[in-house]
Amino acid sequence: MSPSKRGTNMRNTTTKARDLRLTLRFIQLLTATLATAILIMAFAARAHAETIGCGPTRDGLMTKAEAGTGTLLLKTSTPGRYLPAPRVATDIAVDIAGPIARTKVTQRFENPSEGWVEGVYVFPLPESAAVDTLKMKIGERFIEGQVKERQEARQIYETAKANGQKASLVEEERPNVFTNSVANIGPHEAIVVQMEYQESLRFDQGRYSLRIPLVVAPRYSPAPTAALVRCAEAGVGIDLNDPVPDRDRLDAPVLRPEMGKVNPVTLTVTLKAGFPLGLIESTSHAITVKPNGKTDATITLKAGEVPADQDFTLSFAPAPGAEPSVALLKERTGDTDYLLALIVPPTEETRVKPKPREAIFVLDNSGSMGGESIRQAKAGLLAALDRLTPADRFNVIRFDDTLTVLFPAPVDATAEKIAFAKGYVSNIEANGGTEMLPALLAALTDTTPADETHIRQVIFLTDGSVGNEAQLFAAIGEKLGRSRLFTIGIGSAPNSYFMAGAARAGRGSYTYIGGVDQVSAKMAELFAKLERPVMTGLTAKLSDNAEIWPNPLPDLYAGEPVLITLKAPEANGTLTLSGVRGGTPWAAKLDLAKAEPGSGIAKLWARTKIAALEESRVQGADAVQVDKGVLETALAYHLTSRLTSLVAVDVTPSRPADAALSSGKVALNLPAGWDFDKVFGETMRPLERRADAYPTGLLTQLAAKTAPASAVKPADQDLVLPQGGTESMLLLIIGTLLLLISGTLFLRGRRSVS
Amino acid sequence: MTRRAPHRLLALVLMIIGTALVLRALYIPAKAALAQTLLERAFARAKPGEAAPKPWPWADITPLAELSVPHLKRKAIVLEGASGAAMAFGPGHMPNTPAIGAPGTAIIAAHRDTQFSFLGALKPGDEVTAVTAGGRHLHFRVSETRIVRADASGLDPAYGGPTGARLALVTCYPFTGVLHSPWRYVVLADRSDET
Repeated sequence: MSPSKRGTNMRNTTTKARDLRLTLRFIQLLTATLATAILIMAFAARAHAETIGCGPTRDGLMTKAEAGTGTLLLKTSTPGRYLPAPRVATDIAVDIAGPIARTKVTQRFENPSEGWVEGVYVFPLPESAAVDTLKMKIGERFIEGQVKERQEARQIYETAKANGQKASLVEEERPNVFTNSVANIGPHEAIVVQMEYQESLRFDQGRYSLRIPLVVAPRYSPAPTAALVRCAEAGVGIDLNDPVPDRDRLDAPVLRPEMGKVNPVTLTVTLKAGFPLGLIESTSHAITVKPNGKTDATITLKAGEVPADQDFTLSFAPAPGAEPSVALLKERTGDTDYLLALIVPPTEETRVKPKPREAIFVLDNSGSMGGESIRQAKAGLLAALDRLTPADRFNVIRFDDTLTVLFPAPVDATAEKIAFAKGYVSNIEANGGTEMLPALLAALTDTTPADETHIRQVIFLTDGSVGNEAQLFAAIGEKLGRSRLFTIGIGSAPNSYFMAGAARAGRGSYTYIGGVDQVSAKMAELFAKLERPVMTGLTAKLSDNAEIWPNPLPDLYAGEPVLITLKAPEANGTLTLSGVRGGTPWAAKLDLAKAEPGSGIAKLWARTKIAALEESRVQGADAVQVDKGVLETALAYHLTSRLTSLVAVDVTPSRPADAALSSGKVALNLPAGWDFDKVFGETMRPLERRADAYPTGLLTQLAAKTAPASAVKPADQDLVLPQGGTESMLLLIIGTLLLLISGTLFLRGRRSVS
Repeated sequence: MTRRAPHRLLALVLMIIGTALVLRALYIPAKAALAQTLLERAFARAKPGEAAPKPWPWADITPLAELSVPHLKRKAIVLEGASGAAMAFGPGHMPNTPAIGAPGTAIIAAHRDTQFSFLGALKPGDEVTAVTAGGRHLHFRVSETRIVRADASGLDPAYGGPTGARLALVTCYPFTGVLHSPWRYVVLADRSDET
């Protein structure tokens, strides 16, 4: 190699090194530019989103200008004018006959204002309730509601509303969340709306129990996935994948607890058990029990009237020695028989030693669990950890909008590991959002799917205050594998639809803890189920033309009954039940001729069928077929469902054509024991005023105050002017910059090569 | 030779992103201009007493009025709603504020770099006219201009100024800014006619 050539090589090497350095610096510069651009755009998008999002759309809430008026206000079509929102008082009358409860819910909508209003009340019902009757009472007249397809019902209602006719529309948002819209309530007028529903009582551990939710707890709805994309100019951001498409339907204004309680409830339960009664108790409210013979009783609230801020629970047990093992009720409508059967399989101890368990505990420590709930949940989890034996394995997961998995993989339940876990659990505090899906997936992730020595059980402690139930059920159905999911409902107003639905999708069971004092008893009950063998492969057989729901029958845990509903032209002969428990086959035969007459069985059958069809979607059933089945059943049996609503319309218009109609949602109480700030945080502005129960004097004052609109008002603090610039210039600058860099880079690359 | 590929690749990627951004930047004013032309045509076809026909078949916006500043020779069709979607096409009339010309303050907002680029040129005493979809001619006279924070504008839709009805034309401030800003430029114009 000649010296000159070596020199060139050396020069080339230095050039190469310099070029490399330059390139690196370029890349650095570029990254910086890009990062800056992205940051700027993200910030701009956020600022934009805030301006639009919190601006004129924040209806329903009030302005500071109205401070101190003492009631929840509605905006009207005239800006700067407000009306006090309608109020609702509820009476609940439950008739229990054997295992069936028929409940009449009467809602009295009262308009305390001088104007015409529409009230929208978001209210809960038990998740298995089948609403079949709607009556609207105007003066002394009753108007019967009709079941219509959801869209059609909505149209009928809207037309009536526009015409000035009084109307009521009951829509199902979730199996346990309904909205009642009542249109054209005149000044100082009250409209009474009555609904009736049928349900079968829950039977578990030798007790019947009834749970009547009174308030819809605020729900956490995870953000749509595409909302991250952009929310900038021209509002291009489209919600591609919203886990809660109807989020605004579930929302209702919530009052700060210190503002007092609203929505008073009175309640009466008329109990005809059909067997000698033992203990009757409510863990939620103080009750007065008035026995009426050995088998009957009337139960009322000791306080007379309570605020709608927590579930009402009632349980009753047969007197010792009178435990029924079979309940069989029959109803004949037209030429069809409907039958309800409740059979408690014997729970004698089997000699099979239970397998050790792999227990995954999941604790919801989101903001809605703040206050009393998190104490219950932690106590429950600590009690559960104490029940583990050294042969078991376990792990602990906690979640809010973040997620912690305590051990990388389930560990042996040694004293040391349990002590560590207990220390960890004791220090958990409630805060943040409820991003349940990642936690659920983490819990269902099975590291040893082929393990036959352990039974895998996921124990989920939550209040279920989420709006994306459908998404969660689908995830459970898909990822379940050999795991079984058990839900423990926490707090004063847990989401019963989530608790029952998740347990069914997870082939487990559910229970509720309503107070710290119940923790040990309830956890003991749950563990009795977890530790004893489960009955699987349950089937029920009658004749070929009998339609039996639920289908397939769920697995049975110790103490749970088989509950089936049946439809057949002639329900005669013998019903055969069979299943396998702990490796031992079990079978039972029932003589249907012994069935006692019952009422409302047909509706129960239809409701059970609808629930089973809806659940079959989790298993991947065709959505069109499910919709068809649900709609046909609901229309034929006059029931509300996801696809059908009840609507009642008065014939004669009552609102004068020139009177405007204002609309608003009825304010709800925060569930008892909840911490307002933990749920709504600093970002969400709470309602600052209370709607007093019956402040007559105050109302006249208020009416006088809102009447004149001409008076000069202080500036409206809620008015936010919209964004007045596009991204055009910014985009142009960044774009040009990138093009310039690209050009330079391109040229440089060429030069260094040549 | 081996170093050439990453260089070129990087250059190519940057070029694609750059071009996309520039195209997008040009698309925004182009869309606004086209929309306004279509809206004007549709508005011109409108008959008194009827709602204006749709400017394009799938339009989901409602034209309310034609706003014009005679001495600047500027016109724009005002739409209902001040969401980003409506404002991409033209000035938006904020819902929850009175109709244009009705008692109170009607608030109309638009982008500073498209339809409301002329706002800075308006001075007290200038005339602003509005022709509503119903065919009514309304006259306003600019009374003052303000620079305010978006969330503390001091505007009250229920208060209509000395003549009972006024317009508030709003855009982003500063006019030449490229980033979103918390400031707004507001032109107040009081109703000056009797019709």
